[in-house]
Amino acid sequence: VKTIPGVVGAMVALTAEKKGGGMEAPVPPRPVSPAAPRPAPQAAAPRPAPHAPASHSQGKRGVPGIAAIIAVASGKGGVGKSTTSANLALALAVLGLKVGLLDADIYGPSVPKLFGLGGTRPELRDNKLVPIAKDGLSLMSIGFLVDEEAPMIWRGPMVMSAITQLLRDVAWGELDVMVVDMPPGTGDAQLTMAQNVPLSGAVIVSTPQDLALLDARRGIAMFERVSVPILGLVENMSYFICPNCGTRHDIFAHGGARKEAEKMQVPFLGEVPLEMAIRETSDGGRPIAATEPAGPHAKIYRDIATAIRDRLSLNAGPARPQLRIVVE
Amino acid sequence: MVWKATPQPSELRLKNQGKLLVVSFEDGRSFDLEAEYLRVESPSAEVQGHSPMEKRTVGGKKNVAILRIEPVGNYAVKITFDDGHDTGIYAWDTFVELGSRKDEIWGAYLDALKAKGLSREA
Repeated sequence: VKTIPGVVGAMVALTAEKKGGGMEAPVPPRPVSPAAPRPAPQAAAPRPAPHAPASHSQGKRGVPGIAAIIAVASGKGGVGKSTTSANLALALAVLGLKVGLLDADIYGPSVPKLFGLGGTRPELRDNKLVPIAKDGLSLMSIGFLVDEEAPMIWRGPMVMSAITQLLRDVAWGELDVMVVDMPPGTGDAQLTMAQNVPLSGAVIVSTPQDLALLDARRGIAMFERVSVPILGLVENMSYFICPNCGTRHDIFAHGGARKEAEKMQVPFLGEVPLEMAIRETSDGGRPIAATEPAGPHAKIYRDIATAIRDRLSLNAGPARPQLRIVVE
Repeated sequence: MVWKATPQPSELRLKNQGKLLVVSFEDGRSFDLEAEYLRVESPSAEVQGHSPMEKRTVGGKKNVAILRIEPVGNYAVKITFDDGHDTGIYAWDTFVELGSRKDEIWGAYLDALKAKGLSREA
């Protein structure tokens, strides 16, 4: 590379090669502790079932120790998925849950910036990456492994491989819920998540505009195609209240997401306004749910988090039995 | 617009040393799907090609058996057959399709075998 005219240096970011691209090879049998507090799943193919907690979908190759994995997605870029994921994760932690946040946007990781952790490098322990602990959350992002300004010029299979490793080669420990900040779109990253783990649900973020809702609709349809329950729709940048005169301005229109949720018969989780403080605290690396936990915006995120938590326990209840795979 | 809910299976039961898969759904329906049938109608592009015109007629699978069934997310399973074929991802609605139209689809397969001078025997 040095011989190419103009090249002064090179930074190489690699992922370990895994056979078959992103598709996970069968998990090697792990020693399952018989005293594990969570019951093992009911059935097994001819190899030992993975050690997974009781949530309904987790009998199927979930990540050991993680009870529920939820995706925060949008279809469209720029609607506030990362800000929403970060504040939601914080709000869920405030409710008393053990929460992890996985930044699955390989091309545009936001988590390091959102939490003011630029330059932090995770440790390696027993061949696994240790997630960064901040504000009561466990965080992991490809942004912790490369320079902030480095573009990830990667083909699809490498993205799939990276996401799978961030999921399975990280020492997440025991989590009640993992929030996955998805990249925009309905492609490799979404398919990887849908095929490699049994997602407990998806939260779709949209702005009120028709243009964004169109993509949100596609995002919802994608998750329904792969049998991922929709936890609900969040309307971000819902309205703006002028700090000087108190007048409300619906800069990106208003209420479209609620109507869309009704039309598509998915729950509507809440409206988050366009608010300087939300954006400032995000850019400043201290999301508002951590900076002003008693404030009105943190409350909005807390209400959404409560609705999500309740819906997750509903889905995991005895009403929805696990799929049994039985070999006679 | 209401999105049609994909039927969710309650049980996949592999019987007869891997020669028969019984798929039961939450709505009470149940389908008996022979390993040979599943193999020759695998959703994999290796069998289906990339268009209906490219679909391959696979013969000689009368005694094929299923070795392994692994979940794929919430919506499908990957079936590994003892002839090495493991690229088919069988989504729940694939099982419904193969189950509810079995006579039609199996009949078409037998016709195709005959037309191409192939046999079910290896």
